[in-house]
Amino acid sequence: MAKAKKFKKKHDYEGLLIVIEGTDGSGKSTQLELLKRALQDQSYGVIVSEWKTSRLIANVIDDAKERNLLNATTYSLLYAADFADRLENQIIPALKSGFVVLLDRYYYTALARDVVRGQDIEWVKNLYDYAPEPDLIFYLDMPVDTLLKRIIGTTGLDFYESGRDVGFSTDFYKSFEIYQNKCLEQYNKMKKEYNFISIDGTKSVDEIHKIMKAEVQKILASGILY
Amino acid sequence: MSKLTEKHNLKGTLVCVEGIDGSGKSTQLTLLRDWLKSTGQDVIFTEWNSSELISQTTKLAKKKNLLSARTFSLLHAVDFADRFKQVIAPALKAGFIVLADRYAYTAFARDVARGVDPNWVRKVYNFAIKPDLAIYFDIDPQSSMERICFNRTPKFYEAGMDLKISNDPYESYLIFQGRVISEYQKMVDEFGLVKLDAKESIHTKQIEIRRRLKEILNAKGVNI
Repeated sequence: MAKAKKFKKKHDYEGLLIVIEGTDGSGKSTQLELLKRALQDQSYGVIVSEWKTSRLIANVIDDAKERNLLNATTYSLLYAADFADRLENQIIPALKSGFVVLLDRYYYTALARDVVRGQDIEWVKNLYDYAPEPDLIFYLDMPVDTLLKRIIGTTGLDFYESGRDVGFSTDFYKSFEIYQNKCLEQYNKMKKEYNFISIDGTKSVDEIHKIMKAEVQKILASGILY
Repeated sequence: MSKLTEKHNLKGTLVCVEGIDGSGKSTQLTLLRDWLKSTGQDVIFTEWNSSELISQTTKLAKKKNLLSARTFSLLHAVDFADRFKQVIAPALKAGFIVLADRYAYTAFARDVARGVDPNWVRKVYNFAIKPDLAIYFDIDPQSSMERICFNRTPKFYEAGMDLKISNDPYESYLIFQGRVISEYQKMVDEFGLVKLDAKESIHTKQIEIRRRLKEILNAKGVNI
């Protein structure tokens, strides 16, 4: 079989690391699920891991949020601890075993959210500087007004997702709008720095999936996981 | 640039004690607290890994031996940040004498002994204020072990068993705490820790600590 030019991985592990980023309500989970099935259909081993799901710390974060116990620094550090736990116990072992690891959010989420909460970006970057670089980063780009409608129509406005803890506005809607706009601003800055593959999130689920699948296929066609 | 190397200009006074377990830190700090209170000073006491937010989780995770060095480090940083922002910094602004049983230096010593990068962990804690007085109680690993393990075996993390240096908890303890001590010794110069010989009598050490604290308080116009 004629192999395409060998794709160069961004890390030293056997597997592939693929990330989907984007703000809340941008359709990440739907796309992750579709991508997972597409890869499994082709007999690749796939593992999915979502942001804030370590068995150790995720509950603490939820509980602390509920009781309003977090300040900007503990917010950053707790998420960093959750990430470290998942990375070391889940993600890296899977990469070592040659899995395709699909991630719903990566540390770019922390960079965006923590900086919006007033943390120094270099301090936040240091927290995550040991994390392997992903082979692909998809970014679902959504305008705020579309996001707002999606979220209000589904989960409703959440205190932290609206950045109410930062004190932008006591009005939920206003606060949400300011907060998400500021997060988008951070994501936009990162697009270039981290080579995001930016996809228009207002496209149909199918169209987005096709774009993502094509990008992943390019890498797989190089025979990197054989 | 870290705040840990710059003098603060808050009204209060920050005192911390450092050293491995069994070095007599807590005894000295309790004596100091009682004395300061008896002279009518406003004192607040805070302890390593005691924040409402996270300490129970960390303790539970330790029991299950679940933690990687980095997660261990970050969880303690959460605990510290919580106490720092909610207790230590406000109390210093209000003019209290804050007594801390262990401070950021504990993280620098233990985490680095576990293989975490020294610069990484220093950056994580770069929001911490430099104490007015940071005392390091120097003891050898053997004496420390005799003091704390006379009726029990060393615990998993205090013996550094997570590092798989040795299957014998006693041997592992000696090696691991030896590494922690060598990190502390480096910090004597780096951060100006005041090194006291842990083997001196309780009385001798307390006199020395009070003398040093009085000097610092006098310079701030507080006379005891």
